[in-house]
Amino acid sequence: MNTDLSDLTLMQLSDSFFPSGLYTMSNGLETLFDEKHVSSESDVYDFLEVVLEQQLGPADSVALSNSFEFAKDGNISGILECDDILYSMKLVEESRSATCRAGSQMLKCIMQICSNELLKSFSEKISTNRTPGTHPVVAGVCSFVMGLKKQQATQMMMYGFCVSVTGAALRLGMIDHIQSQRILHKIKPIIQKILEKYSDAKIHSSWQFSPNYDLTQMTHEKKFSKMFIT
Amino acid sequence: MTRILRVGIGGPVGSGKSMLIERVVPFLAKKNYRVCIISNDVISKEDADRIRKNLATEQGLLPENMVIGLATGGCPHTAVREDPSINLAVIEEIEVKHKDLDLIIIESGGDNVTTTFSPALADYSIYIVDVSGGDKYPRKGGLGIETSDLLVINKIDLAPSVDADLNIMERDAKIVRKNKPYVLVNCKTDTGVEQVAEHIIHDVLFDQPPKTMMSQVKS
Repeated sequence: MNTDLSDLTLMQLSDSFFPSGLYTMSNGLETLFDEKHVSSESDVYDFLEVVLEQQLGPADSVALSNSFEFAKDGNISGILECDDILYSMKLVEESRSATCRAGSQMLKCIMQICSNELLKSFSEKISTNRTPGTHPVVAGVCSFVMGLKKQQATQMMMYGFCVSVTGAALRLGMIDHIQSQRILHKIKPIIQKILEKYSDAKIHSSWQFSPNYDLTQMTHEKKFSKMFIT
Repeated sequence: MTRILRVGIGGPVGSGKSMLIERVVPFLAKKNYRVCIISNDVISKEDADRIRKNLATEQGLLPENMVIGLATGGCPHTAVREDPSINLAVIEEIEVKHKDLDLIIIESGGDNVTTTFSPALADYSIYIVDVSGGDKYPRKGGLGIETSDLLVINKIDLAPSVDADLNIMERDAKIVRKNKPYVLVNCKTDTGVEQVAEHIIHDVLFDQPPKTMMSQVKS
């Protein structure tokens, strides 16, 4: 029997049924929609492309892949450094708290289904406020522990973000269910290209620069009427 | 970490979930129970803001930071059932900072009659409907109406205006809920509200005195 369950594990962790709370986040899309900057299928695609290239690729995916490697080496200090650096690059309060809440809940869930000393140690550091527990870093550690390959883990994070945004666009009434699938299909080569570009990047070289996007997210924090947390 | 007992309140849009909380909490506060409220809003912070203004700012029954509004991405049932992780994350933060709380009330966003609470999220659930949908509501069932620990039928004063027969609603509630409790309520006049509070004190808090009183006895 083939004992490599990584493909099935990938399906489990990337399934929208996995309890990560990502469905509560539009990642700034709600404000862009309300302010009429984004209104069509191509707008949603363009938004995704910018965020993947300017934020998730150079920052989140690097933090995830580095924490995956540190988890492989059992290096908790390295994991905490990834967490600290990524957290420092999250400029929007709403996003900081959302990523940490999603991270802590993912870690709790994985700990219930997979006993592991590294997870316990990481969890203890989060619960005692010695590290924030950002979602990408938690995903990197959990993905290693659950037997995913590093490439699968980074693909999962990037694709999961795209699903979260297109799902938000669908619920905001901007696109329909076919358009959302067309966006996801079209964005796959972009995800792959970005991941290849940063596949060997070290955490100290990570960066993010999308000031317009950050400002949009900041205005979302102050909105009275909103469907999404971010 | 101290686990604080949790009551979930679900029900359709406009059935009176927020109003029930605004009316029940004063009864609990009168008995010195300390409560935190998490309000899952579908599209705005209005419910949380109103509850905060009434219970915290105006009545001073709890601190303002003990009323928390959460957006649910347009998926109110998901946030309390399939994936309550955001609610749980907030609750865990509260449990670390406010160990002396007696109760956390989680208000679901307005949804349909199939709403239930994840057992990981709520220890006890209240489902509220109002008479304006007609007296067919309890009879039609739905998981929320059938399986909640307490069914609240609200706005009973409106029954004559909408041709809803309260006797039929009571009869059907008993049948579909297999004699689990229900309360007829008018939140505007507090009719039945104290009964709801008593159910919470008895069925959730097991008639234990408030934590602050217990700690005073110990010291």
